[in-house]
Amino acid sequence: MSAPAKEGRVPRWLVRYASPVAVLAAWELSVRLGLVDPFLLPALSSVLLRAAEEIATGDVLFHAWLTIYRAMAGFLAATALGVTIGVLTARNRYCRWFFEPLVSVGFPMPKIAFMAIFILWFGIGDASKIVMVTLTCIFPIISATYLGCSQVDRYLVWSARNMGTSERRVLWKVVLPASLPQILNGLQIAFPSALIVTVVTEMISSGGGLGGYMILAARFALSEKVFVGVVVIAVVGYALLTVFGHVRRHILAWHAESQMAI
Amino acid sequence: MSKIEFAGVRKVFQGDTPNPVVAIDNIDLTVRQDEFVSIVGPSGCGKSTLLYLLGGFLDLSGGEIRVDGRAVTEPGPDRGIVFQHFALFPWKTVLGNVEYGLAEQGMGKAERREIAQGYIDMVKLGGFEDTFPNRLSGGMQQRVALARTLACDPDILLMDEPFGALDAQTRHILQEELLEIWSRRKKTVLFVTHDVREAVILAERCVVVTARPGRVKTEIDTSSGKADGAAIEKKAEEIWDVLREELVRT
Repeated sequence: MSAPAKEGRVPRWLVRYASPVAVLAAWELSVRLGLVDPFLLPALSSVLLRAAEEIATGDVLFHAWLTIYRAMAGFLAATALGVTIGVLTARNRYCRWFFEPLVSVGFPMPKIAFMAIFILWFGIGDASKIVMVTLTCIFPIISATYLGCSQVDRYLVWSARNMGTSERRVLWKVVLPASLPQILNGLQIAFPSALIVTVVTEMISSGGGLGGYMILAARFALSEKVFVGVVVIAVVGYALLTVFGHVRRHILAWHAESQMAI
Repeated sequence: MSKIEFAGVRKVFQGDTPNPVVAIDNIDLTVRQDEFVSIVGPSGCGKSTLLYLLGGFLDLSGGEIRVDGRAVTEPGPDRGIVFQHFALFPWKTVLGNVEYGLAEQGMGKAERREIAQGYIDMVKLGGFEDTFPNRLSGGMQQRVALARTLACDPDILLMDEPFGALDAQTRHILQEELLEIWSRRKKTVLFVTHDVREAVILAERCVVVTARPGRVKTEIDTSSGKADGAAIEKKAEEIWDVLREELVRT
């Protein structure tokens, strides 16, 4: 939203966040005016009050921490594995022969279909959820790394070779830094799905976390508590993505477009 | 002894097409120590390929290239190259780029910083040490590339249309700077260009390459009359006349 604030009286943040503010205001008003049943859609104000209570007891924070931990663990594992496989696929034709068909089949597949199998293999605790997150995130990371590493300008490689860099070291000195923008794009695309999949797996199998928190609240017909879960997930997601964006801009200070529109 | 020898050099690009492209066929050329040789020819005649072969970036399809009597098998810092589009490392600052080769050869931090600073000052980029390449103009980027290559102190300087992507004024200034640098620290220079005036102004000898497959068509002595504008135009005209026959063929 790039509408310039023509009048000095309108605060900048209000212009920037006009659309979410409008939606939240409509939410509050529709309940206050009695347009919807407050059980099905509790007013924003009562959700926030409830959220404050839940935060005070530490209950929702504990579940939020569980969700963040699982999402990050799965995401970091996917990053380590995905970048490694992507590099190998780009640099070695046997690896390409092995991984390319697997990635083409695996990428579009709904990975959540494996959840039942993972529960069977890894139990209903953290392990099955983290593996699920890793499996979901790894494909965009492999694909972005592969693309980045296979499109490195040959003149950059030649420059390094010319100045005494060995064929092996070219990977570290040129290929990886040159494909960093694409790799980070892949991570940025994979990142939201880490959160989504964590919450979904928490809803499917027990063990707490925000997904479990919401499902349990729904079973007890505590609609405000369900909405607290939604609000906390929104905040957590936004906060993590903002941190990610800052890290990315810091790493890519040298890059022309240091911010990807998403 | 001659510094560089091309003996029956041939390069065929296989590619994905059924018809392989013969880029260079049977090139013989000898370059003396500290000589400045320009190579001109129609575009696509393989004159850049000739540099890439000497640089060791591409494999020969036939013949041999010798430097100081030894066959070229792989890239090395004794043959520094400057590319048309600079090929600077965008993730490194100006200083980081110029230091790169020295660091790769295991030089300590303080020493390589001092040497790099010397070359940055030489190409008149003092004050831009911590700037990333994408903040620099084309002319400045090519200066960085030149400093980066010179910092490795190569015996041989390979220049692949280095000023081709620059505007006329910047090109003129960089030509003068290159001549000044070359006169101060002698190097054997192979300079590929499509600009015959540039060839006359810079080089002592101009090698004209034929249309593909590239062969040496003729060699023209360009060592005299550098200060005389009329003599430069006359020499350029002479090269043009030879080149024109080849341009018609492509």
